[in-house]
Parts: sequence; C-alpha cells; structure tokens
Amino acid sequence: MRWFDLFRWALAALGQQKLRTSLTTLGVVFGAFVLAASLSINEGVQETIQREASKGDAARKVTVHPAWRANRDSKKDQVEVKGRMSAERHERIRKALADRRGGGGLAERVDLTSDRLETLARLPHVRRLIPIVGGPVVATLGHRPEDASLSSGAGEDPEFRKRVVAGRAFEAEDERSVLLSEMFAYRIGLVDDADIAQVIGKPLRIEFWNPEEGPSFEVSLAGRSRGGGRDEWLALRQLAWQLPGMLDQFRLTADESSILKKAIRQPSAAAVPIDAADDYQVVGIFRELTHEENKDAWSRFPADTDLILPRQTAVDLYFRDPARRKGGVHRAVLLIDDMRNVKEVVDRVEALDLRSESIVRFVERERLTYLLIFGGMTCVAAVALLVSALGIANTMLMSVLQRRREIGIMKAVGAADWQLQALFLVEGGLIGLIGGVSGLLLAWTISFPGDAWVRSMIRRDMQIDLSGSIFAFPARIGVIVLFFTIGVTVVAALYPARRASKVDPVTALRHD
Amino acid sequence: MGSDRDEDDEVAIRAVELRKVYGARDARVEALRGVSIEVKNGERLALLGKSGSGKSTLLNLLGGLDRPSSGRLRVGGRDLDRLSGREMARFRSTTVGMIFQSFNLIPSRSATENVELPMIFAGRSPRDRRAVAREALESVGLGERMEHRPDQLSGGESQRVAVARALANRPRVLLADEPTGNLDSQTARQVMALILDHVREHAATLVLVTHDEELAATCTDRVVRLVDGRIAAEST
Ligand SMILES: Nc1ncnc2c1ncn2[C@@H]1O[C@H](COP(=O)(O)OP(=O)(O)O)[C@@H](O)[C@H]1O
Ligand SMILES: [Mg+2]
Repeated sequence: MRWFDLFRWALAALGQQKLRTSLTTLGVVFGAFVLAASLSINEGVQETIQREASKGDAARKVTVHPAWRANRDSKKDQVEVKGRMSAERHERIRKALADRRGGGGLAERVDLTSDRLETLARLPHVRRLIPIVGGPVVATLGHRPEDASLSSGAGEDPEFRKRVVAGRAFEAEDERSVLLSEMFAYRIGLVDDADIAQVIGKPLRIEFWNPEEGPSFEVSLAGRSRGGGRDEWLALRQLAWQLPGMLDQFRLTADESSILKKAIRQPSAAAVPIDAADDYQVVGIFRELTHEENKDAWSRFPADTDLILPRQTAVDLYFRDPARRKGGVHRAVLLIDDMRNVKEVVDRVEALDLRSESIVRFVERERLTYLLIFGGMTCVAAVALLVSALGIANTMLMSVLQRRREIGIMKAVGAADWQLQALFLVEGGLIGLIGGVSGLLLAWTISFPGDAWVRSMIRRDMQIDLSGSIFAFPARIGVIVLFFTIGVTVVAALYPARRASKVDPVTALRHD
Repeated sequence: MGSDRDEDDEVAIRAVELRKVYGARDARVEALRGVSIEVKNGERLALLGKSGSGKSTLLNLLGGLDRPSSGRLRVGGRDLDRLSGREMARFRSTTVGMIFQSFNLIPSRSATENVELPMIFAGRSPRDRRAVAREALESVGLGERMEHRPDQLSGGESQRVAVARALANRPRVLLADEPTGNLDSQTARQVMALILDHVREHAATLVLVTHDEELAATCTDRVVRLVDGRIAAEST
C-alpha cells in the first residue's frame, strides 16, 4: 500500500464522519492552542526582555552603591543588654543593637573609596568603571552665585547627545568643561536665545557645598512658606548661623542652655578651608527629557540635574576634599563585557559587601514569573491533550466497531493487518495534524489582539513602550506543537488500530 | 519437488482432511469434519448443500479468509498453512477472487474505488489500477456507472461491481458464494454469464456455492455435495 493511498483513505474515512471528527479534533485544537500560545509567549517574552534590556548599554551596566555591613571585627557579645528578660527577647534586642548603624552600633559603612574602586575595576568581565559623584553645588556665573545640582555624566551616550541643544557634548572624560541644563540657564536669567548663544565659552565656577561649613542645624518654615524661594532660604540659613550665638537671650534654664551649647558645634575658626572649587568652561546646553524619552524606562540618566561635569573632572573636583576622598564616591557604574556575565559580576560585587543594581535582577524576576505562567499553561495544554487523547481513543474504538464490516471487506480483498493498523494510526495522526495546525493558527491569530492587550497593560502599569511582539513564532514552535499533537493522537489510536487489525473477516462478513 | 511443480500446473485446489471447529466447549460447532477435495486448473466446481452444511466455511478457507483447525490446503500453487499473515493477505489480493451473496462493497466508495480496493492494498500505482478498474467495469457493462456509489446502484449492478472487483486482478481461482442468491432470475443469469465468460476466457478455476441444482448442472463441470461438514456425494 502506498503512503499516498494511506493518507487518502484515512482522510476520506475522517471526512465520512465530519461532525464526529470535528468534535474529536476540537480537543486537540484546544490543547495545541494553549501549548502554542504558551511556547510563543515564553519565547516572545524572553526575546522582548533581551531586546528591551539590551537597548543602549543598560543590560551590561551594574551600578554599585556603598552599603552597610555588620562589623566583623567586633564581637557581637560586646553589646550589653540591660534588664531581666526572656532569652528570646534578650536575643532580639541584642541583635537589633548590634546591627544598629553608625555611632553606637556595630555595623560599618563600606564606601566606594579609591581602593575599592580599583578592586572593582579589576574584577573579571568589567570593561570599564565609571565613578559617579554629584550633589549640591554653588555655581557662579560672573558674580552671581546660584545653588545647583551637579551630576557627572556621559558625553558618549548617543541618547544624551540628542539632548544637547546648543554647543557640544563632552569629548573627553577629563576635559574642564561643564554642560548647563536649559532650565538652569533659564533660572539664572539666560532667557533669550542670544543669552544662550553667548554663554557658551564662558567660565562657570563650581564649588561643592561643604556640610562642615554650614550651620549645625537647619531652620525651616515647616512647609508653610508661600514661595519665598532662594532669598527666603538664604535668610533662614543666615538665621541658623546666628542662632547659636544668641542662646543666652532665650528664656532657657541653665540646664537646657548648657545641653544645647554642648550639642551645637561652634563654627571653628580653625576649619581648613577646602579648595573644592574651580572654573569650568561652559561648552553646551542640554534640554530636559521629553515625555517620550521619559517613558523609555532604561534611559533616565541623567534626568534632572542642573549641571553636568565630565566624569573624571567631577571626581577630581570632588576628591580635592580629603574628607570626601575618604568617604568615596556616591556610586560607580560597571560596564560589563557581556550581558551573560552580569550575574557573575553582581555576585562578586555583593561579596565585597557593596550594594548593586542591575537589570539582571529585574530580568530574572520577570523570567521567573513567565516561567510560572509558562509552566501553568503547559500543564493545561498537557491535560487538554491527554483528555482529547482519551476522546480520540474512545471515538476511534467506536468507529472500529461501526466499520467492522468495511474492515472485513478490506481484509477479504487483501488488506494485511499492518495496513489496517497503519490506516487507523494515520487517521489518528491526521486528527493530530489538523488539530495541531488549527491550534497553531488560532494561537497566531489570537496573538495580535493578545499582544496589543499586554502592551497596553504594560504601558499603563510600567510606562514602558515595548518594541516588537511579546509573542514569537519561530518554526521550532510549530514543530514542537505538531510533534506533540500528532504524537499524542497516534498513541491514542494505537489500541483502536490494533483492534481494527484483529477484526475477523469471516465473522465480520457473515451477517448482513 | 519437480513432481510438485508438475502438479501445480494441473491442480488448482487440493484440500486434505480439512476440519474447522468454531467456538469451544458448549458452543463448539464442527463446521467441517474432514473434507478432502481436489480441483483441477480450469475446472468449474459446484458446491451444493443445505444451509449450515459448511459450504461458506469451506469457501472461506479456500479464499484464505480463515485457517483450518486441521488438515492441509493448497490453493493456486501455495500451501496456505505455511503462509504468514502478510503473505496470506497478498494471496487474497492477487491469487483468488471472491464474490459474495451480499456483494460486500464498501458503501461510501464509488464503484471504481471498490474495484480498485484489492490493488490499493497490493500497492499498485493509481494510474495502473484506475485503468484496470475501468476496463473491468466496462467488461461487466458498467462503463457509465463508474463513479456511482453502491447505494445508487441496483442489486444486479452492485453484484457486477463485485464481480469486476473479483476479476480485475485476473485471479487463477474464482470463489463465488451464492453470487446470485440475492438477485432475480434474469439479473442472476446476466451475472452468471459474466462470471462464466471470464472463467472461460482466462482458463480460471471456479468454485461456485449454490442452492440451485439447475444452475449447478448447467454452469459447472462437477458437483460436490456437502452434508454436515462432510462430502456426501460427487457427480459430474
Ligand atoms: N464464525 C462462526 N462461528 C461459529 N459458528 C459458525 C461460524 N461460521 C459458521 N458457523 C457454523 O458452522 C456451520 C456451517 O456454516 P456455513 O459454512 O456458513 O454454512 P453454509 O454456508 O453451508 O450455510 C453452521 O452451523 C454455522 O452456524
Ligand atoms: Mg453460506
């Protein structure tokens, strides 16, 4: 018997019982649909994560922050817990005291000092280490000092270069240049386009704010200010400076007065003036992020800063202060050679007791979620296929009984047992094929509205505009789905096929 | 072995002490109780006997539809007791042609497809077997009805399709089990004529099971009577 005939006859037999065939196939269609959708989502989500994460360098970046760690040297037993209490409570309180950060506690800060930065830079897979400093500064253009926020930043990032609206971006990490934000320029009175054009090339003096230089406490209006702005704030600062000297004029008891005097640090005349100020040439103006750019989750930096210095330049200025040098930088960005090595680097960074941030974490969490979804859907598909397999076995068995006479005739005119078996197995396989293909088509069709729906959900919940579909249909999925559906239906047809081949032609033909 | 070969040319069917038992214990039926028979090549044999005497059982054994409980059987040059299941199927599709009282056509298939059926299982090419089926149907006078399904055909036409199917492969042995039992006398005569024409034309061997004494006498060379699964009498 030829393959061609085998398929033709099996198909004709299925066509004979259109309703029954359709109902039997429906189960397979459902199973194939869920399986296809599940595989497709799994595939598509992986691709999407990969794609989204590898936009720019984001996926290869690990941001390292200083962190607190339990002091290893001191013995925890040193902590003294007073009072008589249950062992459990004693332990809880002892632990809380031991973990207390700073002064009295035993936890210590792990800073991003020069030494640590060097260690980080030497970690395997780290291509580049970018120390990042920033903070409040006083910027003086001409004779006007202004408070401003400073970041150290990127000239090389093409996303950022797009935002430079006048002048140029940095060309070197250590050039003595500064970029102004459009809004900062506006704030300090560079309102006309001509002013902007004219400020390029001018020197800007930048001075890091030194907390040591300020008053030892703040005076604020408890949020009741009507918007006095900078002048109001400067006046309050002035008040804070002068208050300690006037303690005696308040109505305070001697005790209160001495407590406050002890607490308030006197501005020491001996304080070393710190040379953390310098002049930088304004080379460009950059605009704020547009709404669209802001939506793009991974390219937020630098988002809202007034001034940007080249990275090395910023670190140099920052480290002029020995106290700052001791405290290290705010954070450091590690650029990893390959996304796949990010996890390893993160582990190493954490082994150094530093805190790190990377997309890997996020991506891993997402993967887990989708793995669960995928697993769940695959289970549903498996159950659906199993149930439809039982249905197929049942209907085919019925059909063998119904077609006993036909089978008998076939045997009488020369059908061998294997041919009848093959006929029924092919029948089963065809149900699997038809069901599988329909399920695949269904999943493919549904993927369009499905994708739109998920996309709108992600846009709403995460403010991310995904590129590409979260459903992917590589040929592999088709092969897997058909392999399973055909496999399952052929297995379901095994027993009925065997029964068909065992039909005794004499008995089958004896009665009319 | 040489003598066996010589015999092959002469003897189409040789059965020795054939027994067939159906069922077991209480339901045990001895359908054949030691039947020995020899049919020469090109001979036309009639099997007569009352209902239940074992005629169909014997014919089914000859056609390879069933195996005897004991005894030896050689048909068309093949020892049936030595054939495997596959070889037996091949034997059925190529060496013998069977015609039944109840036509036994597949109702959902056209006349052509029914005629093609044995050739499909024998693995002949579609083009080949289509030509053969057409010729066979034309030879039984159904050239115009090739695409009709059995339920669109009369009894006589149906049986002619069955005859075409049995003859399409030019079998050496033709086995007919009351082929005219369901037909009116005129149609019966036409169908018998077709069968006899073929037998004559191809020098085939015919075993015809029938009730009809007159048909047996006019159409065959020899008559064998079965009674209760045994051969009771022979006449020529
Ligand atoms: N498959 C079978 N199972 C049990 N008994 C059978 C079977 N086939 C035939 N018989 C019995 O064997 C006997 C001979 O039957 P059969 O050969 O059909 O007779 P005939 O064709 O001469 O009318 C009958 O008694 C019949 O009941
Ligand atoms: Mg009978």
